[in-house]
Amino acid sequence: MIATQLAKYAAFSRIAASQARRERNELYGRMAFFAVILGVFSSLWRAVEEAGMPVAADPKSLVWYLAATEWILLSAPPIHIEIQEAIRRGDVVYRLGHPVSYVVAELAAGLGLLAVRAPFLGLTAFFCAFAFTGWIPPLTALFIVVPFGFAASAVITALYLGIGLLAFWLQDVAPVYWVWQKLMFVLGGLMLPLELYPAFVRRAAVFTPFPSLLAAPASFVLGTNLVTPGALAGRLAFWSGVTACAVSWIFRRAASTVTINGG
Amino acid sequence: MPPAAAVELNQLSKSFRVRRARETGVETRVRDLFRRDTQTVVAVDKLSFAIAPGERVAFIGPNGAGKSTTLKMLAGILRPDAGDVRVLGFVPSRQRRQLAFQIGTVFGQRSQLWYQLPPRDTFELLGRVYEIDPGEHRRRIDTLSSVFALGALATTPVRHLSLGERMRCEIVASLLHSPRMLFLDEPTIGLDVSAKAMIRELLWTESERERVTLLLTSHDTGDMERVCSRAIVINHGRLLWDGPISALRRSYLKAKRVTLWSDADRLELTLPGVRVLSSGSYRTELDISLDITPLGQLVDAALRQASIRDMAIEDAPLDDVIRALYATASSASVPS
Repeated sequence: MIATQLAKYAAFSRIAASQARRERNELYGRMAFFAVILGVFSSLWRAVEEAGMPVAADPKSLVWYLAATEWILLSAPPIHIEIQEAIRRGDVVYRLGHPVSYVVAELAAGLGLLAVRAPFLGLTAFFCAFAFTGWIPPLTALFIVVPFGFAASAVITALYLGIGLLAFWLQDVAPVYWVWQKLMFVLGGLMLPLELYPAFVRRAAVFTPFPSLLAAPASFVLGTNLVTPGALAGRLAFWSGVTACAVSWIFRRAASTVTINGG
Repeated sequence: MPPAAAVELNQLSKSFRVRRARETGVETRVRDLFRRDTQTVVAVDKLSFAIAPGERVAFIGPNGAGKSTTLKMLAGILRPDAGDVRVLGFVPSRQRRQLAFQIGTVFGQRSQLWYQLPPRDTFELLGRVYEIDPGEHRRRIDTLSSVFALGALATTPVRHLSLGERMRCEIVASLLHSPRMLFLDEPTIGLDVSAKAMIRELLWTESERERVTLLLTSHDTGDMERVCSRAIVINHGRLLWDGPISALRRSYLKAKRVTLWSDADRLELTLPGVRVLSSGSYRTELDISLDITPLGQLVDAALRQASIRDMAIEDAPLDDVIRALYATASSASVPS
């Protein structure tokens, strides 16, 4: 029984992965964007160092930190857009009518996309960071970053799912996404480790999932031992649970009041 | 024991709350930011009917009549506000997943096919979703691909398919799990004449072959006439008419279209209830309301002017029947 259910959702992951492989241009675009971002920031940190300005961490480490955070963020497929469009077009009516959990099916499809994107973007991160710094962090650190980064991307995908479901009420979830994204950038420490931020930002960040999703997994390349792997696993498990409850609650509310566009 | 009726609706109702249209003026718009005015729209209003297993029923109504909403409640996607509904013995809103294994849905303006991938990939996915034995599923895909003449379409990315081709694939996708009941919401919308004819033929054949109960909504009377034997007409969410399609014509519109071929170039027929549509070149076409002027009286009048060489009498087009039905329906509901 459980195997049958798992096979169902695995099929959603497989078909989404097939679709992602067909939509290679979008992935190539992300890889190019990623390379540009890393190039710009590695030049910036070099210039800061050469100008003799104080930098709180080794510039090479900071480039690898950014490579890790961007890898986590860019690997998470923006499934909220597809969910929003399906709700707007009314195609959601088909998915709601299948003998599956709509939420789990969408998440499974998102994880299928993630499985295709993460390796390509990971390789981009690795080679670009190495090319721009001429340095590689200890491999043990990288081996820790990869599984935690993948897990963090999966949680971000689930959060995107929750944002997408808001389209049942809002139709356009872009404003919600923008706010969420900016919070992620700042409180998650996308560009810089959180230790470099003012104290009040760090205090606020503790109460959100963002540091566990970006700064904490990426901090292993800095060698700061900000968080242990065990503690991070616990935090990710906690925020996964919170996300699952929130998404499930949003969907139950949506399902009880759902109206399908176009009659 | 299988249920006696495939579908049973009893006093089914559904309303939606929608935003009131915005008024102009700064004050109104500012107020609108804080408190939005909404109004309740009744989509389905105490609707009752039953469909026997194997029946092919056209579900007709003007835009906004409540057809799609009813279909979605039958499929368990929307929850009714009041009333009872059973589909194949299941209560859709409470037993959606169990019911989903027994029903198929086709929504003409929606798609369940993965856009970048060939339909075959979606078929494979649906095999898993509906928990079909892999061997049986492959045989089913082959059978339906043959019946619906999919050929190379099954392996062509959906984005390269025409609307008619895509619709054939959508219907195959909806039939893969051998549903006992198929809900079709405007399956021929936007298709050209030949694609429509093909879809209608295939639906009829498949329904006959597997005794699938069909409930079809459409604005195209061709769909109704060629696929269905019974019509249920609703407006404002209420039942207007329920009976055989042939009876819909006969009982609702007492009009015939008559064409006369005569020795005279034109005929002057000014009788009450008779509307001449065209006359000339020895041919006269007219509509006659039989409850005002009997057919014999018309023929007598024509014979007084010329010899009649031939005559054709047809029912009024179903489009006219439906239009007349809608026009008179807004005043009061007509019991079935």
